[in-house]
Amino acid sequence: MPLEIPLKNFHESNGAKMVPFAGFNMPINYKPGIINEHKNVRNHSGIFDVSHMGQMLIEANNLHIKNLEKYIPLKLNNLRKNKSNYTFLLNENGGVVDDLIVSLIDINSKSFLYVVYNASRKNEDENIFFKCAQNAQILHLKNCLFAIQGPESIEVINNIIEVPIDMNFLDIEVLKYKNNSVIVSRSGYTGEDGFEISISTEQAEVFIRDLLENKNTMLCGLGSRDSLRLEAGLSLYGHELNENITPIEAGLSWALDKDRLNDSTLNGNKILSDQLNNKPSNKKIGLISVNRTMLRDGMIIFDSNKNNIGKITSGCFSPNLNKSIAIGYINSHFDKEKEIFCEIRNKMELVKSTSLPFVKKNYKKNGSNNE
Amino acid sequence: MGVTMSEKKYTKDHEWVSINNGIATVGISNHAQESLGDIVFIELPSVGKSVNAKDEICVVESVKAASDIYAPIDGEIMEVNNNLESDAAIINQDAENTGWIFKMKVSNLSQYDELMTEDDYKKFLEQ
Repeated sequence: MPLEIPLKNFHESNGAKMVPFAGFNMPINYKPGIINEHKNVRNHSGIFDVSHMGQMLIEANNLHIKNLEKYIPLKLNNLRKNKSNYTFLLNENGGVVDDLIVSLIDINSKSFLYVVYNASRKNEDENIFFKCAQNAQILHLKNCLFAIQGPESIEVINNIIEVPIDMNFLDIEVLKYKNNSVIVSRSGYTGEDGFEISISTEQAEVFIRDLLENKNTMLCGLGSRDSLRLEAGLSLYGHELNENITPIEAGLSWALDKDRLNDSTLNGNKILSDQLNNKPSNKKIGLISVNRTMLRDGMIIFDSNKNNIGKITSGCFSPNLNKSIAIGYINSHFDKEKEIFCEIRNKMELVKSTSLPFVKKNYKKNGSNNE
Repeated sequence: MGVTMSEKKYTKDHEWVSINNGIATVGISNHAQESLGDIVFIELPSVGKSVNAKDEICVVESVKAASDIYAPIDGEIMEVNNNLESDAAIINQDAENTGWIFKMKVSNLSQYDELMTEDDYKKFLEQ
């Protein structure tokens, strides 16, 4: 039986179509449909309930940090307070156990690592967290997690929570909502400006109703979350990332602390530093369909001589481009300027390769919204 | 381009069929379009093709997934709804009327008689 998120009844009474995802029943879309929800996020804003995701507070003491540094390729002792970091848990081969956000925050004047991780990887991740920290110093947050995404996100949230005007992309703060503490980060998974708010389940429904007072926002489901992240070229665990792919192969070496690759206490450090110096054998690319056929996860990519040169890991219809788009891996030696094809229903369809993202990111940095 | 014809019948695969002068018009049910969500592309069958009931003859792609459409009865494809090529979302707006997908010459009318009536289909959906 799938688990239920706390606001299940609220979503159903608001027209959500619920589908099983990563062990939970989740809204995939509401009455307006995936394309309208997608466009509303790009043009105005949208509200996502992502309470299926794992949230953990780990007391930031030196021992836990040392233990965690075996898996996490960052200098955890040097994390800046009130900053979020996109990072990974790595296995012994440098493969990705999960991708996650780690932030350093103070709660009641005590320092914690606030970790947000994928629902589909809860067991694997929590095994590692509990191995690294003792139960007494680790707190499973049962909070709801909401994402407000889109260029008007600040207007949606500002009526309800006072957000510091100098808050930028990947800043995180403990703020007040009706006198209770909520964790607010300026981040998301759509390529747009936005916020993620961790809030107690008791306050969650009142909060989401407050957000919906803004007439230009709407509830959005996992369907548009997927098409938005794909347009933004963002990776999804189980698709672009898995235990057999390293962050370098996934084109995410920017998220690694390069000094840590020389540190033998980090899982897979040798493999990772080798890959950084010598190109990995595969590279991540974007694909756009030429005809109006849809590119889908698992399709094989061919050269003009029908040689298998790679595979699609995520594909969908892009409402912004009005075409099908995909992310996949191809052999690094293949010349991207040459023609490439996907086999779709026994026909070789020409596809165009492109760099990622498909849609320019619109994050808030240093007071302006830009890449 | 309204379709007013004989009693509309339904298959278990959620196609609807309506027959006029031995020509069947076929589409997907309103229930099917609702569960597929936004339809973004359709691969129409080839005109002139002979098909048997249950053959996969065309594909509708929604944002999330591809779904096969089956021939409801034996026959030959006579015409396809070319409007869907540029705007497959017509199926979302009007699945059981202007969102028709293809017309076929029926070779075995008894297969049509065996399909579900609208009432039977409603009951089938409630199961």
